[in-house]
Amino acid sequence: MSGSLMKDSDIEKMMDLLAGEEKNPREIAGEHPETDPRWKELEAIARMMRREPAVEPPGSLGKSVMERIRAHRPPIWTVVGEALLRPRTASIDPLRALRSPISGQECSFYFIMVGVFYAILGVVLMIGLNKLGSALAPAEWIRWQPRIALVTASCMVAIGLYLLKDGKPALRIARIGAFVYLGFALLNGIAVPLERDLPVSAFVSLFSALIGLPTGFFLIRTIQNCGKQYAQG
Amino acid sequence: MKQIDEGEIICRVLGGDREAFAVLVDTYKGPVFSLAFRMTGSAQDADDLTQEIFLRAFQSLGRFRAGERFFPWLYTVSLNVIRNHLRKGKALPEEAIGKGMPEATDPRDDPAEEAVARERRLRLQRFLLRLPPPVREAMVLRFYEGLSFEDVAAVTGDTISSAKMKVYRGLEKIRSMMEADGSTGDE
Repeated sequence: MSGSLMKDSDIEKMMDLLAGEEKNPREIAGEHPETDPRWKELEAIARMMRREPAVEPPGSLGKSVMERIRAHRPPIWTVVGEALLRPRTASIDPLRALRSPISGQECSFYFIMVGVFYAILGVVLMIGLNKLGSALAPAEWIRWQPRIALVTASCMVAIGLYLLKDGKPALRIARIGAFVYLGFALLNGIAVPLERDLPVSAFVSLFSALIGLPTGFFLIRTIQNCGKQYAQG
Repeated sequence: MKQIDEGEIICRVLGGDREAFAVLVDTYKGPVFSLAFRMTGSAQDADDLTQEIFLRAFQSLGRFRAGERFFPWLYTVSLNVIRNHLRKGKALPEEAIGKGMPEATDPRDDPAEEAVARERRLRLQRFLLRLPPPVREAMVLRFYEGLSFEDVAAVTGDTISSAKMKVYRGLEKIRSMMEADGSTGDE
C-alpha cells in the first residue's frame, strides 16, 4: 500500500477498520492488514489514542460554570429579540376577529400590521410631498402628514409589541391607543380640508377618513374580542 | 455517562430554572474539558474554554431544536468556541504542552511504567497539536471522544467521507512525525 496511491474508497474502508466498524476487516481490506507495515503503524497510533485514559477536569469546574451561569444577565436586545423571534402559532382571520374572541397574539398582529402600513404611508408621503416643494408652503398641516403617519406607525407597533409581550394587561393601553387613533383620524380628516383648498388636501382628508375610521373601528372591535377571549380564560 | 432526560432538563432551563442546567454541566463537563484540552494542550485554557462553552450553550439553548440529540449540538458549540480561541493565535508554546496536564485515571501500578506512559501521552499530545485544527478536531472526536464517523461529521459539519479522510491524514502525519522523532506507535 502506498499512501499517495491509495484510492479514497480504500482510505474510507481502512478508517472503518481502524474504528472497528466492519464485521470482517480482512475481507474488505484484502491483504492490507496482513502485509502492510504502515497500516499496522496507523492502527497502533489509533489504538494508542483510543486507550488514552480520560482527562479529568478540575473538581471545581462544575461549580465555576454554574456560578457564571447564575451571574449571567443577557443584554436587553437579546431578551427583546428572543421574545420577538420565538415561534408562535396564531391564526390570522380578520373577518373572524370582528365576530368572535381572538388571542392576544392575533390582536397584536393587527396593531403591528397597521403600524407597518402607516410606516410605508409616512415614507411615501414624505417623498411625495417633498416633490411638491413650494406649492405646499402655506399648508402647514399637510406638511405634517408624513410625521403624523410615522408617529402613528411607531405607536401602533409599540402597542402591538406590548400586546405580544404582556397580553391581558396591555389591553387597556391598546384600547386607549385605538380610541385616540380613531379620534385623531377623524380630526385629521376634518382639519386638512379646512386649512387650504388644494387637491392634495382633499386627497389627504379622504385618505385619512377612509382608512383611519374603518381601521380604528376594526382595532377597537378586535380589542373587545380579545378581552372576551381572556375573560373566557 | 448516566442516562438523563435531556429534553426535560432543557425545557426546565428554558422555562427559567437555571439550576437544572447543572445536571447537563455535570454530565458533559468531562468530555467537553477533554475536547478543549486535546485541542489546546493547556489545562488552564481547557478550564477557561469549558466555562465559556457551557455559558455559550446556556445562552444558545433557545436555538436547540426539540428532538435533536444534545451532545452533538454541545460538541458543535464547543468546537466553535475552541476554533475562535485558536484563531486568535492563542496556541501554546511547544515546551509548555502538557504542563499542568490533568492527572488521568491510569490503571497502571508500576511507577516506571506509569512514567513511560505519561511521557508517551505527552509526546502524542505534542504531535496532535502540530496537526492543522480541522484534522485535529476529527482525530480528537474520533479517537479520544469515541464518536462514530457519522457523529464526527455531524459535529464538524463535514461529510462522513471527508471526516474519514481527515482522520486518515491525521494518522499519516502523526506516523511521519513519530518516524522523524524515532518513536513508534507501539505501547
